Amino acid sequence: MMIDVNAYLGHFAFRQLRHNAAASLLALMDAKKIDKAVVSSASAITYRNVQAGNGEVAVEVKGHRDRLIPFAVANPFYAGWQDDLKICHEELGMTGLRLYPKWHNYTLSDRCCLDLVNAATERGMIISIPLRVEDKRQRSWLVDVPDVPLEEVAELVKACPQARFILLNGLGYVKSPLGRKDSGLSSNFAIELSRLSALLDNEIGQLITNLGAERVMFGTGMPFSYPDPALLKLEVLEASAPDKEKIRWQNAAACLRL
Amino acid sequence: MNLPAPQPRISRRAFFKGSATAAVALGSAALPSASIWAGDLSVSGTPSGPSRKGTVIDCHAHLSHRSRSTWEADDRKLIEAADKLGIDQLCCSILTPRRPATAEGFRECNQWVVDGMRRFPGRVLGYCYVNPGYPREALDEIRRCIGDRGFVGVKLYNEYTCIEPVVFPVVELAIELGVPILQHAGHAHYVLEEQPRISDGRHLAELGRRYPEAMLICAHVSGGGDWEWTIKALRNAPSVFLDTSGSVTDDGVVEMAAQVLGADRLVLGCDMSMTASIGRIRAAELRAAEKEKILGANMAQLLRRRKP
Repeated sequence: MMIDVNAYLGHFAFRQLRHNAAASLLALMDAKKIDKAVVSSASAITYRNVQAGNGEVAVEVKGHRDRLIPFAVANPFYAGWQDDLKICHEELGMTGLRLYPKWHNYTLSDRCCLDLVNAATERGMIISIPLRVEDKRQRSWLVDVPDVPLEEVAELVKACPQARFILLNGLGYVKSPLGRKDSGLSSNFAIELSRLSALLDNEIGQLITNLGAERVMFGTGMPFSYPDPALLKLEVLEASAPDKEKIRWQNAAACLRL
Repeated sequence: MNLPAPQPRISRRAFFKGSATAAVALGSAALPSASIWAGDLSVSGTPSGPSRKGTVIDCHAHLSHRSRSTWEADDRKLIEAADKLGIDQLCCSILTPRRPATAEGFRECNQWVVDGMRRFPGRVLGYCYVNPGYPREALDEIRRCIGDRGFVGVKLYNEYTCIEPVVFPVVELAIELGVPILQHAGHAHYVLEEQPRISDGRHLAELGRRYPEAMLICAHVSGGGDWEWTIKALRNAPSVFLDTSGSVTDDGVVEMAAQVLGADRLVLGCDMSMTASIGRIRAAELRAAEKEKILGANMAQLLRRRKP
């Protein structure tokens, strides 16, 4: 079993994506032996009204709910986010959120963001935060969107101890409280591995040592990214077979209550 | 220092089962893993992995500068990573921590590369790093490294854009010796204040037109900004090769590069982003023969052009 907690459907404003419809993403997952994937709208990253992207994803995953697990993109500074959250959860069956604070121009410590996180947590939804969408060196001339600072994430994790977080597309955790042993942070967050090293510095190994294998999850970033780099990390990672199973799918399955 | 015990993996016998051409040219000190290619299937399910007939060469690697207290362990980790990923040979340079490099600084780095070639015989191939701003010293160093020390190429960084005249004698000497130049490169749509003289694909294309016989490698397309721009900039520069290395794992880069430039012009590089760089080649929807060229055959062909 393999569960990818970091996948997407739809178009991205600044680069053509392949495998970005349900059928083609599923074909790629089949080829790579990935059983299930958490997906959200890539289009909603730049849509003003993110709910339109959530609607597109809901249509796309119809008939594939056994393999594609839709998350909503939410923007707590846009009118009607409370209504959208209710619709996404109750009508569209979305069990988690993805937040893009830098793309949507807010910080994770803003009151509105905390309200959103708390509202989603009351519903039992998972909050996932992609720390970046693409490498800043290749950004378009139109935008200059920084990565989400780990310090900001750590503050949110601390401020919302009841919430459950999955942190995506990040690295450098071991140099922040998020990846240090005995940092005082609660264990209400997991870290996805697609940008972490499994060789040389071996940040994945350091996180297993510091936080436990229970706190690391497999993810690829498809279709923004090739899946094989993440798959390869798991293959070469020096970890016990039970720990690898946790990372491969068990942690995600428990978190997603599959 | 002993290498750690290898992880359990699919045996080479299992991987090569059914292959008529199982011979693998290996470096003398390693047993690279072929199992990482076992999962290499195209979307349609057709095996597209390389048959591993040839040597896998990382055209872009670095040994550690000795100002780092962990340099020796870091170098060993690099070789261990190469072992795990099936990389037979690594073309390495050492850069000065601060640039522009002084003549003394680049000489010292190259001396450490010589030592690395001795510590890892058959695995580490040397690039001679120079700053062309020291014209006499740079040319002397290249002659010494290529001629006497067995280096395989020249590494240029960002001290000068590669189309500045001060670089031309270096290019002419590389042509004379028959060795490639790996040119640090990148293209962003904003001013790179820390690298005002960085070269990009357009510069390399221009240099290639000026010196069509030069073997130029444009470094790290997957860590050098807008990779679509870089690939398109190199389209009409048939003598310029593209190094696939970098930390960015964007889908489609290898396929676009192969489509626009041809697989014959692509060379595997990692630039220390090991799983990203091997993973993107494994994932690329290309024919096995094309991947084999990228993984090592193209670079091996370049290295064979060295003049006696």
